[in-house]
Amino acid sequence: MSALEFDAVSVRYGRLTAVDGVSLTVPSGQVVGLVGESGSGKSTLARAAAGLAPVSAGRVRLDGVDVRRLPRRRPLQMVFQDPYSSLDPRMAIGESIAEAMPRGAGRRAEVARLLELVNLDPDRADMLPGRLSGGQRQRVALARALAGRPKVLIADEITSALDVSVQGAVLNLVRDVQRRLALSMLFISHNLAVVRYVSDVVAVMYLGRIVEAGPAAQVLTDPQHPYTRDLLAAAPSAHRSLLDDTGDDPLADTEPADPHHPPSGCRYHPRCPIGPLAHPDRTVCVTTDPAGEAAGRSHSAACHFAAGHPTRRSA
Amino acid sequence: MTTAAAPARLRGGPWPAFAARRLTRFAVSLWALVTAAFLMIHLVPGDPVRAALGMTAPADLVRAKRLELGLDDPLWVQYGHYLRGLVTGDLGTSMASGQPVTQVIGDRLPATLQLAVPAFAVVVAVAIPVGLTFAVLTRGGRRRGSELAFTSVSAFLAAVPEFLVAVALVALLAVGLGWFPVAGGDGASAYVLPVAALATGPSAVLARIVRVELLSVLGADFVRTARAKRLPARLVYVRHALPNALTATLTLGGLMLTGMVAGTVLVENVFAWPGLGSTIVQSILQKDYPLVQGIVLVYGVGVLLVNLLVDVVLGLLDPRSAIREA
Amino acid sequence: MARRGTWAAALRTPVGACSAVLLALVVVLAALAPLLWGEGAAAIDTDAIGQGPSGAHPFGTDSLGRDLLLRTLVATRLSVGLAVLATAIGAGTGVVLGTLPSVLPRRVGRLLTAVVDIAVAFPGLLLALFLAVIFGVGTHGAVLAIGFATAPAFARLVQTLSASVSGRDFVAAARIAGVGRIRLLARHVLPNIGEPLVVNATIGAGSALLAFAGLSFLGIGVQAPDYDWGRLLREGLDGIYVTPVAALAPAAAVVLAGLAFNLVGETVAAVVGVRTHATRRGAPPLPAAPSAPGEPPADAVLVVENLRVAFPGPSGWTVPVRGVSFSVRAGEAIGVVGESGSGKSLTALAVSRLVEAPGLVTADRLEFAGKALAEASDRELGTALAMVFQDPMTSFNPARRVGGQLAEVSEQHHGLSRRQAFARAVDRLAAVRVPAPERRARQYPHEFSGGMRQRAMIGMGLMGRPKLIVADEPTTALDVTVQRQVLRLLARTREAEGAAILLISHDIAVVAQTCERMLVMYAGRIVEDLPSGAAAQHPYTRALLATTVDLDTDRDRPLEVIPGRPPEPGQVPEGCAFAARCPLASDRCRAEDPVLEPAGDGHRVACWHPQVTVLSGQSQEEGAA
Repeated sequence: MSALEFDAVSVRYGRLTAVDGVSLTVPSGQVVGLVGESGSGKSTLARAAAGLAPVSAGRVRLDGVDVRRLPRRRPLQMVFQDPYSSLDPRMAIGESIAEAMPRGAGRRAEVARLLELVNLDPDRADMLPGRLSGGQRQRVALARALAGRPKVLIADEITSALDVSVQGAVLNLVRDVQRRLALSMLFISHNLAVVRYVSDVVAVMYLGRIVEAGPAAQVLTDPQHPYTRDLLAAAPSAHRSLLDDTGDDPLADTEPADPHHPPSGCRYHPRCPIGPLAHPDRTVCVTTDPAGEAAGRSHSAACHFAAGHPTRRSA
Repeated sequence: MTTAAAPARLRGGPWPAFAARRLTRFAVSLWALVTAAFLMIHLVPGDPVRAALGMTAPADLVRAKRLELGLDDPLWVQYGHYLRGLVTGDLGTSMASGQPVTQVIGDRLPATLQLAVPAFAVVVAVAIPVGLTFAVLTRGGRRRGSELAFTSVSAFLAAVPEFLVAVALVALLAVGLGWFPVAGGDGASAYVLPVAALATGPSAVLARIVRVELLSVLGADFVRTARAKRLPARLVYVRHALPNALTATLTLGGLMLTGMVAGTVLVENVFAWPGLGSTIVQSILQKDYPLVQGIVLVYGVGVLLVNLLVDVVLGLLDPRSAIREA
Repeated sequence: MARRGTWAAALRTPVGACSAVLLALVVVLAALAPLLWGEGAAAIDTDAIGQGPSGAHPFGTDSLGRDLLLRTLVATRLSVGLAVLATAIGAGTGVVLGTLPSVLPRRVGRLLTAVVDIAVAFPGLLLALFLAVIFGVGTHGAVLAIGFATAPAFARLVQTLSASVSGRDFVAAARIAGVGRIRLLARHVLPNIGEPLVVNATIGAGSALLAFAGLSFLGIGVQAPDYDWGRLLREGLDGIYVTPVAALAPAAAVVLAGLAFNLVGETVAAVVGVRTHATRRGAPPLPAAPSAPGEPPADAVLVVENLRVAFPGPSGWTVPVRGVSFSVRAGEAIGVVGESGSGKSLTALAVSRLVEAPGLVTADRLEFAGKALAEASDRELGTALAMVFQDPMTSFNPARRVGGQLAEVSEQHHGLSRRQAFARAVDRLAAVRVPAPERRARQYPHEFSGGMRQRAMIGMGLMGRPKLIVADEPTTALDVTVQRQVLRLLARTREAEGAAILLISHDIAVVAQTCERMLVMYAGRIVEDLPSGAAAQHPYTRALLATTVDLDTDRDRPLEVIPGRPPEPGQVPEGCAFAARCPLASDRCRAEDPVLEPAGDGHRVACWHPQVTVLSGQSQEEGAA
């Protein structure tokens, strides 16, 4: 049983707060999908869990133990976005995998077993990564992550550098391995459809905060936060025309906010279709941060008017 | 109430912060230079005064000289004296000639500048047009022949150090053809060979840099955009490509310019030019430490000023550079 | 893999071979010359003092009557040896200084970096002079001085290289895997910077040789009775009027040896960096194109017949676009979909006349607005053909204001004054909904967000009256919400201006959403041309649709996959390029290339076994969500 817990985690780089007080739990054996646009801090959150980004406030715990206190070979491994930069070009893939294993005999056999697990020919262990395609490299990266016998796996945009025809095979493999080994997994992607396919729980991130989180089926069919609804509406789909839903709405062209200078109150208010732009009387969005009361709302939505209904009038 | 929507990145110029940062760096480097120059005399193994005056010098002369230089005081007291002297323009006296170091520098510096400044002008005037021309001619793997000719000739010129160019020029044009004086001399003809010797290598280096930078800019997306606008080729190169190549050129060119400061040392020695370069070599050989210290400072400050200048020009040329450092 | 052979490959180039021979000669001389001629070079001959060149002494003699040719040859060992020694000191110190910051505590590391930063600003010769004062005049002093003077530059190089390696994900992965700092440095960082370091050390040895000659020439380096080239040069310069060759012989030796090191290093650097293989030229292969061109519609703005784009490569021409035919009617929106390497972007560039030499574009027919594209004037293309590129970050000139970049279109093609053109630019920015266009026009591109830049790019196309907008992956670099804005803007622009759109995308959903018709490309060919709503007939199109994950994908089933991968542009097989991955492939598919032929209303397909039945896997019921 191993749950990964983020407890009010913040990550700051100089004046930029990339992650701002995020609390999120990846329950044991489940897949939590984290979705958001570039600059929302989702990758930074993952890197914080892996010890690659400095946690300036809060705590990341694995089974109740602060990840900073974990042994050097931690039971938490990560697969990265770019398959061309995530393998050492000068190291045979078998050696890259073996390096992540705990010391002990039988490495060679274990490497072969892992390569087989990710559907690669074990004879390829001596190859340099230069001879592999992007999809094959991503499988090697997965094998290397598994070599560390992780309890938690973090997958950071693992298919966004791949062509569609390859993406499917990698997603199938990750899902299969996760189920077979009962891993807990944090699955990060900007692609809502991919997150939906893989995850049990979905969390939506915006400007360093989680604005909505809940069981995947519920969040995607009954989104509470207007940003989640916008994401759903914007997801390209062959079955919907572009110009269907909205007419000439001035809100449609609003700009994403600058993460260096996050807006006051609710961070989404300058773009929000149900916020002060559309309803001038909703000043509470500009003045009050909705995060405070989020825990009490459905899907922990950080919105004063979640699902269109005001949750608290006295602002 | 929607003012927060305005991107906040538009507030206040980054210039003051940029200037402050750059000046701080200049100050720190200057301090490091001064301290290094001060320590130099103390890092010389043994007694610098004994080394300078020779083994046969009488002991009381050595003692008197040590006293005069203040070498018997504690190190930090000497450091204080040294800094105070610097501020008041006192760099000590030459052990060889007894003249104040500032006076020697004042006498010799103009001769060096008279070499370095024209040489720099020649480098810029030659290298940028040549580099631009060859970049345009050989872009996208065209005209392999011209490319090979340019790269091999410029590589050769760039690799030959100033003093060898100088020797070759002397042998050919002064001794062989008798067109120019071998060394010394007055009038414009005396400048031709030293300036040519000093400018040849850097011109070749800079022309190569201009070409390489321009080639990489010519492959950039925004040049494709400019071509998609169907602008005339002249505008694409001069208005869109060149300014973007100049940023990198200047950065590398600055390094090269500081290299020219050092190049004067060698060239002056070939031509017996009465500048700082021949003086520093003499004073090193004579172990005239106060004078070496003073000239090292002058050269060092020259290098730092060139670097500062390059950075400021870069900041002016490239709207992003000041921000990029933030 | 190919890395092992880079040195060998470098030595096979003409320059590389020459410099390698030169370097070998220098090394042999350094080893043997003192043994063979050491005594002869030291023999004093009082009868032949200061002579010019003669039969007995080809380069003349010095002030003690010693033979200068022999002395120059014998001096090779000391000159080269000292240079190599100094380089070893410099490179060794540099590697230590450069790697320490990543192992030491952070503050100490920063201090070290700052010191290197300051030192690297000073030219090597100045540092060497400074250090020569401390280490004392003479051979030892000069070796140490030059060695330590080159150390900061090496340290900086090591820092830069290892910083770029350390930033890559495999180092992060190794850290997570529990690999310690020292092992990380030894196993991952150093091997990946080793090659450039060795190359730079080789070049550095050449520079050290020259620097050493300089110091000896100044009298600060090697002292009599020892002699290296620099010393010989200094002695020769004194008598340059009498025997110029006495100065020129050592000078030539220094230059040749210096060049040998430099050139060997630089050729290898070039091969490592750019891989400039010699490209074989000749006529590109133009195999007969299987196409069945019909007469293009009367209102076509773009007619393309049998378009091919070829590039010269190391082993002959590669042809990434192999005979593409289609036409775009006025006001029509057409999408081109395909995976990376399918030739879709090159097709877009070719129909916009933006493929530059050495790329070669040929077509049986390539017409824009009723006129051969090759003959269209810059003004026509500049005003009637708009382009939108993939990366809004790099597609604007970073050094010029956005307004000016738009305005120059009208200055150039409409003859407007600068002020009028700028006013039009502001107006166009407003038309693409850039807020506060007057102020924005005076800003630089880096002050724009990605989506706004892409809108400004569309605005740039609207400076004229475009008949066709070619948009090459215009939203790939953008977030979904911004992607929707940009796609809508394109659609609105098309409506308002009556412009046709050619939208290139890897995302079949984006194309289906925006365009009436899509061309599916595979391995440089169009394999299917179908109306957006129609059922796909080509197995590749169907597979692409099936593999696309969208919000309606069944979570309980594994995703569809296409086995194998597309052929490399150089190695397209006989027959249908998709045959190797196609579940329906027959012997005919592997032998005969199918032609793009009409297959129903506005539908063309290049397949021997087109599928006419509707796919059942794609359930439409959930679409209402």
